[in-house]
Parts: sequence; structure tokens; C-alpha cells
Amino acid sequence: MIDALRYEYVRLRTLRSTYWLIGIAMIFQLVMSVTIAAVVANSSSDIAGDEVFDVLATIGASAGFAPLFIGFIIGLLGVFSTGHEYRHGMIRATLTAIPSRPHVFGAKVLSTAIVSAVASLLCILIALLCLLVFGLELPSLKGFVDMTAGTTIFTVLFSLSGLAYGALTRNQTAAVALLLLVPTVIEAIIRAIVIAIKGFSDDPQEQGGFVQILKFLPYDAGGKLYTRASIDDLLSFLGYTPFGAVGGGIVMGVFVTALLAGAYALFLRRDA
Amino acid sequence: MALIEARSLGKSFGAHRAVENLSFTVHPGSVTGFLGPNGSGKSTTMRLMLGLDRGQGVTTFDGKTFAQLDHPMRHVGALLEAKPFHPTRKARNHLRMLAAPNGIDDRRVDEVIEMVGLSGVARGKPGKFSLGMGQRLGIAAALLGDPHTLILDEPSNGLDPQGISWLRNLLKYLASQGRSVFVSSHLLQEMGLLADELVVIGRGRMLANGPVADFVSHGGLATVAVTSPDLAVLGPALEAIGATLTPDDGTVVVRGATAEQIGDAAHTAGARIHQLTTRQATLEEAFLEATGLSEEFRGTQTGERQ
Repeated sequence: MIDALRYEYVRLRTLRSTYWLIGIAMIFQLVMSVTIAAVVANSSSDIAGDEVFDVLATIGASAGFAPLFIGFIIGLLGVFSTGHEYRHGMIRATLTAIPSRPHVFGAKVLSTAIVSAVASLLCILIALLCLLVFGLELPSLKGFVDMTAGTTIFTVLFSLSGLAYGALTRNQTAAVALLLLVPTVIEAIIRAIVIAIKGFSDDPQEQGGFVQILKFLPYDAGGKLYTRASIDDLLSFLGYTPFGAVGGGIVMGVFVTALLAGAYALFLRRDA
Repeated sequence: MALIEARSLGKSFGAHRAVENLSFTVHPGSVTGFLGPNGSGKSTTMRLMLGLDRGQGVTTFDGKTFAQLDHPMRHVGALLEAKPFHPTRKARNHLRMLAAPNGIDDRRVDEVIEMVGLSGVARGKPGKFSLGMGQRLGIAAALLGDPHTLILDEPSNGLDPQGISWLRNLLKYLASQGRSVFVSSHLLQEMGLLADELVVIGRGRMLANGPVADFVSHGGLATVAVTSPDLAVLGPALEAIGATLTPDDGTVVVRGATAEQIGDAAHTAGARIHQLTTRQATLEEAFLEATGLSEEFRGTQTGERQ
């Protein structure tokens, strides 16, 4: 396993996309954090502490109206982890350097998780620095831990789903499309259909029923790890109560674990 | 020094049987050529040998499968396809990446880069490499661990004549050091100069396996050109021993009899012989003869079309 991790370490270090993806994520995070912090510092609003930190750390995603930017950018590293192997015919060279497929797959999962977690933690660090530089109130310990854990877990799971899509499809373009479309388009379409059916039912405000499906949309559920308000809250009149951070995290974790398990099983079975 | 033993290799793609019960041995100190028409299963066989394709059978390198080898690139070097690299990762970094899990240091990386003649572009992006340069990088990767066994699929693809000559000398040198070299190629003339032994397959099945000289002579394609003023006497005598005669510009070309048999028959029949020249078959002729019915993909000559 150590040999496979060495390979992944050099692979990531010698690839330009590693630098430009992390660079884009950090620069965007820095620019937006500084902008938001400057606005908050000069406003007469009474929002402070956890709320400001949440907004800075997630560039507004904590409000529930936008995706977590860092997740989508770093998620591409997860896709590239397996996608490059197939797009550039590297998989055979990789497996002649490391014949153990479990080790190759395990090293990719581990390295993607570590890079994603580090990138996410850097975003948190940037948010904290902005609070300090602009003299804003620091978050409470609980607020800090909750948001740090939430964004980090979501980013790691999101990237790993990208890795799994790459391994399942063996097609980098398809994997990128899945990573971008499933959370933003596919889940939105499912939500719209479910809401429409519920809306036209005899008792649209009846608690429970099949509208509960919405609780299990994996990326939406995972978003509860870092959102402090959500568009789902507006749907409570349809008898739908979304999971909290822990429940949502578990739903997304189970989904990503299932994707990885499928990808791993096929990786062991298929021709390289 | 490694003995490669492939036993009962088999592989299907859906209903198509690509490789069928192939068994052969590659001996240390020799270059073994792997021949077969397009689509005959050569590349699939090589991937099966390294455990890259899932199929039947087992291949061992001194008794161990590829997956059982510790730091496999130190034992077996492989080149399986053209340009197996990320286009923007520098050539040297590509080799460093492969070297890292095999405990191979950067000095060896620089050595093999120099060995294959890519020093000038070591820090270049292989996406801009020609096919030949990409092939040299692939050969460098195969040589990285200074392995005792080489498995090379069409390594001369894209190489210029100097490159082909360099590769021939390199592989012969490596074999002379006691290494096992298993190499496929479509360049039959080149294979004739390079290989000591051959494995010839068609439609995934073994057609021939053994020394090159045996393969060439076994097909019975050698001919003897005979010039004689007594052909009227000699002809029936040769036909009597099973030979066939084809007139050719003042001589006859005799198939199915050696020069010794022809000389003896002429002596017995009282025929004079002015010239007796044996012409050995080429590897290409022997190959075409052996694989004639085993082509997966066959084009048509212009004259064959209606």
C-alpha cells in the first residue's frame, strides 16, 4: 500500500491540473472571503460570529442557495484520479508498476480524501484569517467545529464520488458530467417531479408519504453538513422535513460508499 | 534470469474466443518473437501474461505470477501500447512516477532516458512527442527497473531505421546478458534478424513454437534451382521421388526435394547437372504459409474484386 501511495503522491505532484485546480479554489476563496469580510466590516448589520464565519467559509453556500464551490472544484481532482488512467491509457502502465488492484484503488481513495480535506481546511483557514484581518468576531468553538467538519466531510465525499464515477464509467468526460449534473440537475429534476406530484395530490400538506424521498437525495442531504438554512425549509408545508447535518451526512456517506464499492468491484473484475 | 512459462492462456470477448489454450516457454538468454496476423490475439496474450486482462491460464516468471512479484518493474519490464502517458506530465516525471513504487532512484531514471536517446526532451511534454519518441519513452519505462525479463508489444512501431537498428542491438545485447526477451512485431524481416525463437499464433491458437530456423525450414518452402541439359531424363526421376518441377527461364525450380536428393536422383538416372542452387524460404514466406488460413482480417487484391 505504501508503494501505491508513493505512486499517487508523485502522480499528483507532477500533474499541472493538481496545481491549477487547487489554485483556482484558493484564489476564489480568498477573493470572495476578503470581499464578503470587507462588506460585513463596513456594514451596520448585526450579524456576527458563527453566521459570518459560515458565510465566509462556504462563500455563501451555507445559506442554501448555492453549491459549495470548493467541493465542485476539488471534486474534479477525484474524477481525474481515475479518469486520467483511462483517458490517457495510463491504467496498464499503472498496473504494471503496481499489480495489486486493491492497493491502487485504495491509494487513490486515500490520496483524494487527503487532498480534498486539506483543500477544505485551507478554505476554513482563509475564512478565519479574513475575520482576523477585518476585525470581525470569531466563531464559537462549536460553530467552528461544526462548519469545519461539515465542509471537510462534504468536500471529501464529493471528491470521492467523482473518483467513483471515473472508475465506473472509465470515461473522464462522462464522469465530469455526472459529477456536475447529478447534484445540480438530476436531483433538482427529481425534486421538481416529487413536489409537483405531491402538490396535485388530495392532501398536499399531509405529513410523510413518498415526498420523504427528497430526504434521500444524496448530494442535497449531504449539503446539510454545511447549510444553516435551505430551500428545503420552504418545502415544509408539503409535509417534508429534511435530515439534519448528521442524518444528511450519513445519507451522502452511504451513497458515496455504495458508489465506491461498485467501482472497486468492477475495477477488480474488468480488464485493464 | 527468468524463465517465462505461459500455461493454458485463454480469453473471450463475448462470444469471440480471442486466445485459446496457449502454452509456451520463453528461455533466458534468448529473444523470442511473437508473431501473428492482425487480431490474432498477440496483445491480449501479453496482457493476460501480466494479469491486466482477466482470463484463463497462468504465466509465471521464475515460478511467480506477475502479481506475486515484489517491485515488479525490477523483474519484468513491459511495453504494451504506444504513448501510455499523460500528455502534459514531463517525460522524466512520467518515469519518476513509475519508479517511485518500485524503489528505483532518480539516477536510474536519468540513465534510461539517456539510453533511449531522450535526454534532450526529458523535461518536455510527451503530448508533443512523435510516435517514435513516445515509443522510446515506453521502452525507457520497460528498462527502468533493469529487469531480467522484457515483454514488448510492437516496440519498433514508429521508430526510424536507425531506431529499429538501435532497438535490435539493444534487445540482442540484453538477451546476451541472460535476460528473457519476448517481443511482438509485424516487421518480419526485422524479426528474422532479431529472434532466436518464435511463437506464432493465428486466431488465438498456437501455430508454431520453436527456433526460427526450424520454423522457416519446417514449412517445406525451400526450393532448388536446377540447370541440366538432360531434363528429359531428370524430370521423371525427380517426380518419382515426389518432387514438383516448375520451369523458370532455362532452369527448373524443384520443390519437395533437397539438393542431395536431386544429386542422387540425377546420378542414378545418368543425367548431367550444370547448376544446383538451394534457396531457403524467408521468414515472411514461412509466416504467410503458416498463417494463411488464420487471418482475422483479410483485404482483397485489386484484381480479386468483381
